[in-house]
Amino acid sequence: MTEILQQALNGLAIGAVYTLIALGLTVVFGILGIAHFAHGSVAMFGGYLTFVFSDRWGLPFFAAMGLAMLAGAVLGLLIERLAYRPVRDAPHINAFIIALGLTMMTEGMNLLLFGADQVVIQTPYRGVFNVAGIAIAELRVLVILTACVLIGVIALLISRTKTGKSIRAVAQNRQAAVLMGVNVNRVSLVVFAISSALGVSAGALIGALLAIAPGVGEGLAVKGFAVLILGGLGSIPGAIVGGLILGVSEAMAAGFISSAYKDVIAFLVMIVVLLFRPEGLLGKR
Amino acid sequence: MNPKILSSIGLAALLVGAFALPQLVTVPYFMHLIILALIWVILAQGQNLIQGFVGYVSIAQAGFMGIGAYFSTLLSVKLGWSVWTTLWLTPLFTTLVSVLVGYPSLRVKGHYFAIVTLAYNMVIFTILLTYSSVTGGEAGISNVPRPPELSVWGWVVNFEGKSNTAYYILVLLSALLATGICAIILHSRVGRVLVAIRQNESLAEAMGVSTWRYKLFAFVVSAGLAGFAGALYAHYIGFLNPEPFGVDQSLNAILAVILGGSGTLAGPVVGAFAVTFLPEYLRIADSYRLVTYGFILVVATIFLPRGLVPVAQDLLTRAKALLGKNK
Amino acid sequence: MKVLNKRFVVAAMVSALGTGWGLSAFAAEKELVIGVNDALTGPGAVYGLPQSNAVQMAAEEINARGGIKAGADNYKLKVISNDDKANPTEATNSVRKLIDRDGVKYLLGFCCSGSTSAVASFIEKENVVMLVGNAAERAITAKGTPNLFRTRPPADFTGAAAGTFVGKRGAKNVAVIGSLDVSFYTQYLEAFERELAKSGGKIVAKETFGLKDRDMTPQLTKVRALNPDALLVLGYVEPAAFVYRQATELGMKLPRYGFTSGSEEQFLKVASSEQMEGVWDLRPTELTIEALDANAKTYVTNYTKKFGAAPSPSSPYAYDQVYVLKNAIEAAGNADDTKKVLAAIRTLAVPKEAVMKYLPTNGTMFDGNGQAYTSNGAFQWQKGKWIYVSDLPSDTKVYSEFLRSIRGK
Repeated sequence: MTEILQQALNGLAIGAVYTLIALGLTVVFGILGIAHFAHGSVAMFGGYLTFVFSDRWGLPFFAAMGLAMLAGAVLGLLIERLAYRPVRDAPHINAFIIALGLTMMTEGMNLLLFGADQVVIQTPYRGVFNVAGIAIAELRVLVILTACVLIGVIALLISRTKTGKSIRAVAQNRQAAVLMGVNVNRVSLVVFAISSALGVSAGALIGALLAIAPGVGEGLAVKGFAVLILGGLGSIPGAIVGGLILGVSEAMAAGFISSAYKDVIAFLVMIVVLLFRPEGLLGKR
Repeated sequence: MNPKILSSIGLAALLVGAFALPQLVTVPYFMHLIILALIWVILAQGQNLIQGFVGYVSIAQAGFMGIGAYFSTLLSVKLGWSVWTTLWLTPLFTTLVSVLVGYPSLRVKGHYFAIVTLAYNMVIFTILLTYSSVTGGEAGISNVPRPPELSVWGWVVNFEGKSNTAYYILVLLSALLATGICAIILHSRVGRVLVAIRQNESLAEAMGVSTWRYKLFAFVVSAGLAGFAGALYAHYIGFLNPEPFGVDQSLNAILAVILGGSGTLAGPVVGAFAVTFLPEYLRIADSYRLVTYGFILVVATIFLPRGLVPVAQDLLTRAKALLGKNK
Repeated sequence: MKVLNKRFVVAAMVSALGTGWGLSAFAAEKELVIGVNDALTGPGAVYGLPQSNAVQMAAEEINARGGIKAGADNYKLKVISNDDKANPTEATNSVRKLIDRDGVKYLLGFCCSGSTSAVASFIEKENVVMLVGNAAERAITAKGTPNLFRTRPPADFTGAAAGTFVGKRGAKNVAVIGSLDVSFYTQYLEAFERELAKSGGKIVAKETFGLKDRDMTPQLTKVRALNPDALLVLGYVEPAAFVYRQATELGMKLPRYGFTSGSEEQFLKVASSEQMEGVWDLRPTELTIEALDANAKTYVTNYTKKFGAAPSPSSPYAYDQVYVLKNAIEAAGNADDTKKVLAAIRTLAVPKEAVMKYLPTNGTMFDGNGQAYTSNGAFQWQKGKWIYVSDLPSDTKVYSEFLRSIRGK
């Protein structure tokens, strides 16, 4: 029993990170219809930045992460304006190819700026609590809490603010939103800024919990899409539920079935869901 | 001169040049790259079928290449079968596997499809890496054999040895075969349906076309070509491990088709050579290579969405028109 | 007229001699281009880049002391270093380029087994000498390729010695976690398990992690539940460091043994010194100053000064390759005839400039398989540093015969 709870707890922290990544993906996909594959590499960029801010500039971890999130938002704005907007009205495949190209560019940029070695963000949160035989690492708890806070902020933003209303309008029906006077360009920019900021936070948290290295971003993006498919493309509650389920199932599978095929779980989940319930657990389309 | 005759002569000259190449190229390193590029042509033609003709971006091509490579290698190394046998069995096996992959993937469209194929590639890669009792894992399988000697009209063709000329001819013929297969498909009724699906899938469905079957056909043929390329690759290099069959290579295949020109026959050839030779010449540093590739991809999609070959064709047409005027 | 003639003749002779002497002195100064093929970027770079640096440094040292004397000629070394990213296709391309375009006859470096095996599979056909470093896959020398030599011993040579050591320390139930899809780690484990069994111990778990994995808490949680009395970690330093850190985070308090080979710097990037305290590394007696001699000390000082970072523990395998080459060329008296140089390498004694502690087989550095052997050592992390604790007794003759016996299998 202890083992099961321990595995579940380990998995929750990773699941929280997956949720953040998935949220960034789902807002862009649900509202703008773009499979923003470069999201993983953007997250890594944020992670590297957080490392630079905390390790070289000496900022405390959360301040570094916050600053990196701002930088990430700016990067998101640039990506929308320069890369995706020109192909907004072209066939969908073009947007996807752009996403692939952006992935390469961002990975390459990360290599140039930060080198090829793995990067681990050191934090002062090294405590371990022992509760009934289960080891609870302080850092993992903080990751889960941070994710909750960020999710709450985004939820409030979308449901209570005027910008949020415009976003929801565009998500429902772009043509109608334009007719109602919503500035679609502005909405696109805001959505990308939010998405990238969330991605950066995920990158920072992964950097503190595990490590950031070339290639990690791609894996995160794919798992993010797996969560999207599991939870339902475009659904925010779906992203939350999906992320946690994926994180915990990975830990369980690695712990009780086989550690060798741990990563394969995400993909199998994706394939199975697509076969039997393509709209996802909480999706509507 | 009749333009058709002109282009036929041009094509013939190109073919003669291609067959004579080993005599002209003295540096083994270039032959090595050319052989790799030709193997890539086969891969790219396959990718073009599903991406260029049908309009579905598949990110699993490298995975199928890996399946083909390992299938042929394991049969020849562990069971001692002749490479000539395994070479033609490989595309058949790969197509079988691809039906398993294609079936769920083709139920969804556009982005979903691409992501699912990506997932499949990662699954294939992970299995190849982890199932090391069979595949040798990361350490790989050494001593992958070359095809055994052939007797062609009294001549003995040997595939071992340093010069690789015989293998070059084999790969050249294979690349021509692959291009030929795609040409036949393109100019047939099937090809027209595929293009119709790309242009407007809903319309095609409304016209009563069972689009699913055609999509699966294109997917399966492209996988078969990839598997074949994989086998040729393994028997050439002599050593096999999962490294070349990851998602990065699938992205390279996509890049090759985009750069060269989606939906054309010459496009994948140009793209394959570009993708093989560019990294060798851009050996500045890996980091610059990625940024450059990505930048090219983004810029090409925004400004040159049809790729280099159609652009070149356009320029050629315009040049001809100008020359025509001056006459 | 006669006098003039004589003087003229003498002057002509002297100037002819002078020119001849001048020309030969000019011709005697030649350049020997050697090629390094290593992972300079990517996951193998932690092993490959330091090797490449070490070769560079050795070449500069040799040039500063006058170069390599081969017969009448004097050679200055020039190093061309190619990045193969630990990728077999890249490695093949890179070596082809070195041999065909750069005219290289001597290939050094080779940190990573996958890419090295790809090159080893065709190198017999080439007129070159290949010196392999960190790549630990046994098949590389088991093949018996006549123009391939390796300075680093195969993993199972060390595994056997490690198994005896851990068994002697009383471990009866050992849990293993490692990159078990990599065959040299499984070979290490096979030999380890065999020797451990001789003292009554057994392996109770074999968990895997991939090269790129960083979260091993599921595997460690599973292992923790089995209550083993020791943990054996087999993997590259980057993921292994996470295993050590996460083991402490899960509250695991048991002796931790490893075969990872990483510098203090590399581990401290991930785990704190307290989290690493007490961890053992059972590996070839690689670069630890206390275990080795003055050559090692000088090497560490020079490398750190030149490259601004501590050398990796396995980098001297590449450094020593350069001195093997130098001594062999000088013994052969010829740098162009690779057959003569090969013969010289086969009968070479351990060079005095070598940093690693090699155990000669029948007096020569390399055995009949082209394999050199270093002694194996038990290292322990104490207060932020790897401390050499003791030697791990190992029998090179027995192993060498074993390696010969599996040739062609």
